[in-house]
Amino acid sequence: MSGLLESAEKLGRGLENLALGLLLLGMIGLATTQIVLREFGLGTLASADEAVRLMVLWIAMIAGIAAAREDRHITINVLSRFMGPRLRAASSAFIHLFTALVCIALAWFGWRMVQLAAEGGDTLLGGAAAWPLQAIIPVAFLLMGWRYLLWTGRQLAVLRKPAVAKG
Amino acid sequence: MLLGLVLLVLALLGAPLFAVIAAGALLSFVMIDPELGIAVPIEFFSLAEMPILLAIPLFTLAGYILSESQAPGRLVRLTTALLGWLPGGLAIVCIAACAFFTAFTGASGVTIIALGAILYPALQQSGSPDRYNLGLVTAGGSLGLLFAPSLPLILYGVVAEESIDELFIAGILPGMLMLLALSAHALWVNRANRVPLAHFSGRAVLMALRESVWELPLPVVVLGGIYSGYFAVSEAAAITVLYVGLVEVLIRREIPLARLPGILRESMVLVGGILLILGASLASTNFIIDMEVPQKLVAIVTDVVDSRTGFLLMLLLFLLVLGAFLDIFSALVLVVPLILPVAAEFGVDPVHLGIVFLAAMQLGYLTPPVGLNLFIASYRFNQPIISVYLATFPFLMILLFTVVIITFWPDLSLMLLR
Repeated sequence: MSGLLESAEKLGRGLENLALGLLLLGMIGLATTQIVLREFGLGTLASADEAVRLMVLWIAMIAGIAAAREDRHITINVLSRFMGPRLRAASSAFIHLFTALVCIALAWFGWRMVQLAAEGGDTLLGGAAAWPLQAIIPVAFLLMGWRYLLWTGRQLAVLRKPAVAKG
Repeated sequence: MLLGLVLLVLALLGAPLFAVIAAGALLSFVMIDPELGIAVPIEFFSLAEMPILLAIPLFTLAGYILSESQAPGRLVRLTTALLGWLPGGLAIVCIAACAFFTAFTGASGVTIIALGAILYPALQQSGSPDRYNLGLVTAGGSLGLLFAPSLPLILYGVVAEESIDELFIAGILPGMLMLLALSAHALWVNRANRVPLAHFSGRAVLMALRESVWELPLPVVVLGGIYSGYFAVSEAAAITVLYVGLVEVLIRREIPLARLPGILRESMVLVGGILLILGASLASTNFIIDMEVPQKLVAIVTDVVDSRTGFLLMLLLFLLVLGAFLDIFSALVLVVPLILPVAAEFGVDPVHLGIVFLAAMQLGYLTPPVGLNLFIASYRFNQPIISVYLATFPFLMILLFTVVIITFWPDLSLMLLR
């Protein structure tokens, strides 16, 4: 079972790296192509600027999943320094659960947004359906929610360990 | 009010800031009408409507590639060849190198990790007092934040909707003032330490220049490209990362291809953190504007202070406290939309406001309890956090003095723009 989880972890990490790498390459490629075309008086690629902006959104969301996997989103975290190990684990479980719930709520409202875009026939990039491009928002928040539920479970396991040892 | 307090406690307990801000925005909208919760993901999608945001992932990646290459070592050798003959020269080398490097790495703690490892042992050998050395490498980690193309400068431009080109110019003199003040302090501390690190040698300078020949054009590419009108800031970012990648990976071959995914991921984790906070705060800012909070804030502040000087003093005190608790990126996206209208009421130029904001927040890297540089230095140099606090205190005072000058002398920021 743990081998399966390890493989899934490795695969997830690899997919995130691949997606981030491709998006970055795409952004650099499109942005530099635009400069070269413009400087040589050949005009610019239609919709390339919009595509680059969409790639920034996708990078933000996928990088958000990567940061959630490593629990490295930006935090203030002043109070936990003054807590004992058990209280710290309890507080950590609580804030991870809170974050998971917020992410799941964002995924739900994000899904509603995508549904409305699909029903309304919204388009981007000169005629492509907008909803698949917007779908990264609910998908990413759902995955982040899942990651934070796993972190909650890990902290709860830390809390349970001493009790098991005593029993 | 109660909701705000609960969210504040959650943030202080360590909940990710994007989640805290998004929760605040979601609950505020949902309490009016459950269907309005959709406004929050719509604001996240508006991240795809800001062309300048392209600069953030690309400059960050360029900075991370530079820090993983041998460029920090070359930079130190070049500045040593140029400035090593001065008494206390290595301290000045440290100040100059940190400033240059932080401008590209965005004060994310990378400077202390990349340059500190080279400079701290060298400073110890040079005979500077140990406490001074520790303070210097810690404070150096956020120097250069006012120089182009630093990430916080770009983010201020995005949030305040100000010209990033102008912000890049406005940061030059205030940034130089900070470097000069710290250099003067370095000369004073090392006044008894008369042995120069190296004698000035034209040959050594030439050799160091030759060694850094690929990195030296970088500031010219970035600033020259932008100000000659060849490309916009976001395009300059694409050129920079392409150039840095080609030089460090393909030409110099200092970064094996196998290490690239790790570097890329590391840099994007920071970018994801910043952009998600930006997305969440776009939603919360919209709610705050709908509730006319900025107007109410203007009314409260104009009741308390009646002059520009009074406002600037209050702003400075507020930013110093804010910087002690909130990291610069979160503070930028959360607080700038609130203080912009108040500052406009007192006739404060938004570009000057940005420089004051960043200069004051720079001190936050060095102030307990959450100063990022303090913790990175404590970890990196294996020193108790209290020693790092004490060692950094004189630097904090010097930088505070420069921030006061920057705040009350707007022309220092604005004169190059006229």
